[in-house]
Amino acid sequence: MANSQPKMSRALQRRENIAGYLFMLPSLFFFIGFVVAPMIICIGYGFTDANMNSKTASTTFVGLHNFITLWQDETFLLALKNTFMIVLVSVPAVCFFSLWVGSAIYHLKGPVLSAFRCIFYLPVVTGSVAVTVVWKWMYDNYTGILNYVLKGAGLIEENINFLGDERFALWCIILILFTTSVGQPIVLYVSALGNVDTTLIEAAQVDGANDIQVFWKVKWPQMMPTTLYILVITTINSFQCFALIQLLTQGGSGTNTVMYYIYFTAFKLTEQRGHFGYANAMGVVLAIFIGLLSAVQFKLAKEK
Amino acid sequence: MKMKKLIAGALAMAMALSLVACGGGDKPTGSQGATPPATGSQSGSQTPSTPTENVADAITVWVYPVGGWGDEAKVKPLIDKFTADTGIKVSMEWLAYADGDDKVNSALTGGNAPDVIMEGPERLVANWGVNGHMVDLADMIDAEDRAEILPAALEAGTSADGKVYLYPMFNVAHCMAVNYTAVKEAGAEANIDLETRTWTVDQFDATVKALHDKFGGTVAAVYCAGQGGDQGTRELIRNRYGTKLTNADHTAYTWNTPEVINALTDLKNLPGIQFDASLQGGDEIAKFYQGVLKMAFCWNAAQQLDPNSAGTGEGKTLTGDEIVYMTFPTQPGKSPEEGSGVWGLGAFDTGDEARIAAAKQFIKYMCDSENCAQAGDISNFFSCRSKAEGVEIKSSNPLLVEYYGKMMPYMGEYYQITKGWAGARTEWWNMLQRVGAGDDIAATVAKYEANANAAATAG
Amino acid sequence: MKLGAKRVTPYRVASVIILVILALLFLFPLYWIVTGSMKPVTEILNPEPSFFPKEFTMNNFDRLFAKRTANLWDLAVPFSSWFSADHKPIYFSSGPSAPAAFRWLINTVFMAVAAMIITCVTASMAGYALAKKRFRGRGLLFSLIVCAMALPKQVILIPLIKEISALHMWDNLWAVIVPTVGWPFGVFLMKQFSESVPGEILEAARIDGASEWYTFYSVVVPMIKPGIGALAIFTFINSWNDYFLQLIMLGSGSNYTISLGIATLQSETSIDLGILMAGAALAAIPIIIVFLAFQKYFTQGITMGAVKG
Repeated sequence: MANSQPKMSRALQRRENIAGYLFMLPSLFFFIGFVVAPMIICIGYGFTDANMNSKTASTTFVGLHNFITLWQDETFLLALKNTFMIVLVSVPAVCFFSLWVGSAIYHLKGPVLSAFRCIFYLPVVTGSVAVTVVWKWMYDNYTGILNYVLKGAGLIEENINFLGDERFALWCIILILFTTSVGQPIVLYVSALGNVDTTLIEAAQVDGANDIQVFWKVKWPQMMPTTLYILVITTINSFQCFALIQLLTQGGSGTNTVMYYIYFTAFKLTEQRGHFGYANAMGVVLAIFIGLLSAVQFKLAKEK
Repeated sequence: MKMKKLIAGALAMAMALSLVACGGGDKPTGSQGATPPATGSQSGSQTPSTPTENVADAITVWVYPVGGWGDEAKVKPLIDKFTADTGIKVSMEWLAYADGDDKVNSALTGGNAPDVIMEGPERLVANWGVNGHMVDLADMIDAEDRAEILPAALEAGTSADGKVYLYPMFNVAHCMAVNYTAVKEAGAEANIDLETRTWTVDQFDATVKALHDKFGGTVAAVYCAGQGGDQGTRELIRNRYGTKLTNADHTAYTWNTPEVINALTDLKNLPGIQFDASLQGGDEIAKFYQGVLKMAFCWNAAQQLDPNSAGTGEGKTLTGDEIVYMTFPTQPGKSPEEGSGVWGLGAFDTGDEARIAAAKQFIKYMCDSENCAQAGDISNFFSCRSKAEGVEIKSSNPLLVEYYGKMMPYMGEYYQITKGWAGARTEWWNMLQRVGAGDDIAATVAKYEANANAAATAG
Repeated sequence: MKLGAKRVTPYRVASVIILVILALLFLFPLYWIVTGSMKPVTEILNPEPSFFPKEFTMNNFDRLFAKRTANLWDLAVPFSSWFSADHKPIYFSSGPSAPAAFRWLINTVFMAVAAMIITCVTASMAGYALAKKRFRGRGLLFSLIVCAMALPKQVILIPLIKEISALHMWDNLWAVIVPTVGWPFGVFLMKQFSESVPGEILEAARIDGASEWYTFYSVVVPMIKPGIGALAIFTFINSWNDYFLQLIMLGSGSNYTISLGIATLQSETSIDLGILMAGAALAAIPIIIVFLAFQKYFTQGITMGAVKG
């Protein structure tokens, strides 16, 4: 029996391999077929001057040309900056806001609590396009309610061109993104606060800790997994701001993002030489940045 | 509880219904699946031996909202008539100017182009045509047609190497409009010559000033949120000191001239004019229609007939103010040059002879038959031809006739076919945004002109 | 859940007041959609906004419904576009002509539900395998999944369109569904969830001679059910809101989703706000009703999913 142990284990390994891949198969089919394969093709395209007009223009290998041009393309660099700006502002803002709302509402009575939870979740279910359409109207330079209210309250004298002024436009977009992002984190924090070990809190209170100390020393560490999960989903969400840009500013007023610029280069600048190659090169650069960001996040998650 | 069950039931029903569906439909009612004629040549370029007998029984037509052609209710009767006459089913899709190009380009990327498309030469000829996506329609235009079609329109629809990628349907001169009621309230009606409909830069500036003094805020917007309706800002700026934005043979952009820079400087410094990066042409019209803006630069006959496509009457804003169309202001003694708009139909090279044949049949029906007049009437523009197959084509609408008399003489050449046009349009509105944001005007113009020219010479 | 505040401190009072204000602000866009959709055109376009409609009208909805029409449904033979001559689907049943907005709603529900079901099935199987099966290449696969999770779809825009077109799936709801299913967040979520299944139970099932599939189906699935619920909600809302894929994959008006339909209306009619708000209301209200009705499950699902995240 002892002799056959390694053999058994090899058989077991084979069994695990087969079973594992069989279970993975349906998912891998979609994942590899519609995410990984396009990504690989995208990398390939990034080194060419491919374009839409394949009938009249040939595609050639141009090496790193696209990537070198990218670093000299002001529009791209601004878009890259904006992309990270959106992520770096909205992710912490969403986390802190939802943590505060979560801790403020979790004391409340059941029905009140769920009413608040629902209200903050509503923008998520309303749908990004519907939300964008109404915000566009609210931000309007001439007839928007926001200008009307601010003017009525005497806070501003002249109407603010929210979406047409580069000092405001990006922040306006971040604000909409923010309202559509906090719903889920709030729900998560409320339940995480409910799951905190009460004996630890009581012990801390007996030791004379005040509310703030209890929160940061006892509750916060216990909610760490929730916070990490929220970081991940909010980051993902922040990269999905395409609809807002497309429907509100079309990348103008200093709100361009790499995501929008890829689309723009691919389908608007069709006369530009090798625009498909260029758009794909942008995609590759963005993917590298996002991959790094995810890796860092998971490294953090593992350490905790 | 009951409601939950009800909703769950409704959801389940919807699911069950649609789970059977493999997506959805391309064709309208009762398509009986694939039909023999369509089987002609799936493999592309090979021409079947008898191409003329091989006509597909269904085509897809995409239209940009050219005048009244954006209105499904107005277009449908004519399409139904076409189907009744020819047996070819038409599935119509309406594109928007904001993202229509993206849609066509993404369809082209995957080889999913529609059969027929309605738009102007800057897309059909200068972009898709010269890049090999369109079918040459020269065989549809005989000597008689050449005599009947407005030469300028036919020329705009023809590429440099003589291929006709756009069968012209209608044209119009783009102009601007003022809220005449507001102008009268501001006491500035002396600036507006209702007879000639032309004015000088000084008269225009005085009117803006009077309106600004009377109503405050923004009188007119140099809109630059995107490319939509950019002909308005182009004509406003280039007419101010009388210049052209491309060279004579349409191979390069000439924005970096003292005329353009001075015009931008004037407009930037004129109180009441705002460079507004939150509006595109369509938004501007809407604000004008609302009575918020007192002038509109994105105007034409179709707008005058049906402002904002709202169906509230000719030449009237929402509040009932009178709208007066005007040429763009010029220096004294100079004749204005209005932006020229030409629209027509083109056929995409789908590689399927049967579908191309059906597409040509559709084009013939709309552009060169007794239905041509109806197709023109729908648009609220002017037909590009005097006669079609012997039938005289004339607009009966008095307002259109008047507009034709007053504005069409000023129609400028069609310069939108300059190479790199799509890229140049992007540079144009970005340039206006930068000017609006307060950047140095001369440097900004120089930079964006260079960008536009880089796009024009590339590839 | 805690009942009642322990002490009434000034901080508590202040925070409740702020919460109420915030809640009103969060509700406002929705309120503005609903009231806007019922204001007459003259009121909606008036530069002086009225906070409460002076006059209620259904005219905006009438105009929305009249603007575009489509068949209520078109049922096609599955995969028919692969073998039909012109590579278009073959329809065996078409519904009556109806306002396109209803068709868009049906399309959206179909798309979101199909994406949800397929994702739940594939992701829970894959998540279980990643968590519990010690197969070769597992670490690599997991890293790949983690890296791809935050990837915006714009990155693979061009190859994806070409691929979908080559498969004759363009302008078909499946063109939207399939990449949604491929998005690996679900696998990640289900992997985290399956970690909690005790190994002993699986071992016991194996010793009892249960097949791999049986073990998964009757032992693992019941244990990860809450996670599947969370994923279902997440996928449903995500695909409902994923305007981008819909924008690039759907070409004809009868195949639009409600989001794409409204977006197109916005660019088309520019600023007929009445129609736009009617469209927005139509897009928002059904899913909000579903949300409110199943609110308990929604919140449960979401939180269940995260405890292990």
